[in-house]
Amino acid sequence: MLSSEPEDQDQSKPILDSPEFGESFYRADRAVPAIEFRNVYLAFDDKVILDNVSFKVRKGETKIILGRSGSGKSTTIRLSLGLLKPDDGEILIDGQDITDFTENQMMKVREQIGMVFQEGALFDSLSVYDNIAYRLHEQGADEDFVESEVKKMLSFVDLDDAIDKMPAELSGGMRRRVGIARALVGKPQIVLFDEPTAGLDPPTARTICELAIKLRDIQDVSSIFVTHEMNNLEYLSSEYAIHDENGGIVFEEEGEKFCLINTEIIMIRDGKIIFEGKDEELRANQDPYIKKFLNGK
Amino acid sequence: MNPLKNFLFELQEITYLIYNAFIRLFKRPTYVTEIIKQMDSIGVGSLPIILLTGFFTGGVLTLQTYPSLEYFGGQGQTGQLVAFTLIRELGPVLSALMVSGRIGSAISAELGSMVVSQQIDAMRALGTDPYKKLVAPRILALIFMLPLLTVAADIFGILGGGMVANNLFGLDYNLFFTSVRNGISLQDILGGVIKPLFFGLIIGSISCYKGLNTKGGTVGVGLSTTNSVVLSSIVVIIADFFLSRGLQHIFSAQSVGF
Repeated sequence: MLSSEPEDQDQSKPILDSPEFGESFYRADRAVPAIEFRNVYLAFDDKVILDNVSFKVRKGETKIILGRSGSGKSTTIRLSLGLLKPDDGEILIDGQDITDFTENQMMKVREQIGMVFQEGALFDSLSVYDNIAYRLHEQGADEDFVESEVKKMLSFVDLDDAIDKMPAELSGGMRRRVGIARALVGKPQIVLFDEPTAGLDPPTARTICELAIKLRDIQDVSSIFVTHEMNNLEYLSSEYAIHDENGGIVFEEEGEKFCLINTEIIMIRDGKIIFEGKDEELRANQDPYIKKFLNGK
Repeated sequence: MNPLKNFLFELQEITYLIYNAFIRLFKRPTYVTEIIKQMDSIGVGSLPIILLTGFFTGGVLTLQTYPSLEYFGGQGQTGQLVAFTLIRELGPVLSALMVSGRIGSAISAELGSMVVSQQIDAMRALGTDPYKKLVAPRILALIFMLPLLTVAADIFGILGGGMVANNLFGLDYNLFFTSVRNGISLQDILGGVIKPLFFGLIIGSISCYKGLNTKGGTVGVGLSTTNSVVLSSIVVIIADFFLSRGLQHIFSAQSVGF
C-alpha cells in the first residue's frame, strides 16, 4: 500500500520487499492483474471511442481514469463489465479473456465485480433494502443471511436508518452510497466507480472517496475510479485508511515520508491514453493539455 | 439509414428480442412472480377500459345497423350482426388497440426510463438478464391476457348491443340473443381468440423493443413511448388483415375437408 521511497522504484519491488505486507502479497495469483486491457479499440460508426488502449489494474490497486466528458472514460468501465464489446483487442478479468464471452458467461464474471453508477442507478420500484439485497435475492440466498448482509453494507456506507426508504426519498449523495452498498454485496474483488461524485457537494463527494479508499486499503479491493474532478484525485492519491488502536478506521495523508503505490492515474484524451503513472508524475508532467486539465481550464 | 434498411433492421432486432425472451423463459431462475404480476397489471388492470369499450361498441353497432336492417325487415338478425362483427373483428382489434395504448405505452415508458437511468445496465451488472426478467414476463402476460380480455369485450359488447336493441328499438331480448346464438360459429370464436394471441406478441415485442432502445434522456422516453403505441397499433391493424385472410383460408379448407 505504501512505499517509503516515492521515486525511482520499480512498481512491484517495494511491495514484495516490504515486511509490512502480509503473506498474501507473495501469492502467485496476486501477480495476475485484476483487469487488463490489451490494445482495445472501439468505434461507434465513424467515431472512435477507444483507440488501442492498454493498461493493467493490479490486485488491490485503484486506477483513477481522468479525462474530459466524452473522452471514453465510462466506456472503459462498461467494457470491463462486458456491457459493451470491443471491436478489437482483448479484455482480461482476473487473467481470464472475457472479450468473446456470451451474456451467459459474463453473468459468472460479473459476480466478482461491483459497479457504482453515476447517478446510483437504483431500482425505483424497490426499497433500499431490496435494492441492496437484489443480487442475493437473484441468487436465491436465505433471507436471514440477506438481512444481515444488507445491514452490514448499510453500516459500511453509514446509512443504517435508510433501510426501509424508497430511492425517491433519498438525496443524491445517499443514492450514491446505497449504490455503493449494492455494488459491494457478495464481496466483489473488483469495484468499478463511474463518476460516483458527479454533481455532489464537496463533503458528500469526500465521503464517497473515503468509501473507495476504505475498500482499497482495508478490503484489498481492486478498482477503477472514473472521474473528472480534481478533488477526487487529491483524496484518492494522497490519503490512505488504516485501523486505529480501537479498531476504528482513520484516514491519513501520505505526506513526505510515504508514497501510495496502490493508486495510479490514467488520463484519456479522445480515446487514447496520454498519461499513465503516479499523481506526482502527473503533476510534474509538462504536456500542455494535462497542465490545462489539472488547472481546471 | 434509408427507410427500407431501417425497417429490415428493426424487424430483425424485434425477432431477435422475441427469440431471446423465449429461449430464456424456461431456464432458471424463472420469474413466475413477475409473470403473475404482469398478468395482473395487464389483465385485471385493463379490464374496466376493455369492458367499457366493448359495451359501447356493441351498443353503437346496434344503434347504427338496426334502422338499416329494419328497412329490409331483417331487424331480427341484429344480434347476429353485432356478435359476428364483434367476435370476428372489432373485439380483437379494439381490445388490442386499447391494450396497446394503456399497456404498450406503459411498458415502453418503464423500460425507457430504466435505460436512461442506467437501471438496465445495473441489472446486467448485478447478474440479471433483462430479457428474462423484464421482456419475457411482459410478452408472455400479454399473449395470455389479451385473448381473455377480448372474450370479455365480446361478451360486454353483445350485452351492450342487446340493451340498446331492447331499450331504444324495443327488440325482445330473447330474439336478440337467439339471433346471436344462431349467428356465430365455432370458427368465429376460434378466430376471435387466435388473433389476440398474435396481437399480444406484437404489442409486447414492439413495446419492449422500443423501450429498451430508448436514447436521449427523458425526451427519448417520450419519443419511444409514442413510437411504440403508433407502431404497435399500425402493425396490429395490418396483421389483422393477414390473420383474417389466413384464418379464412384455414377454416375454409377444413370445411371442404368435412
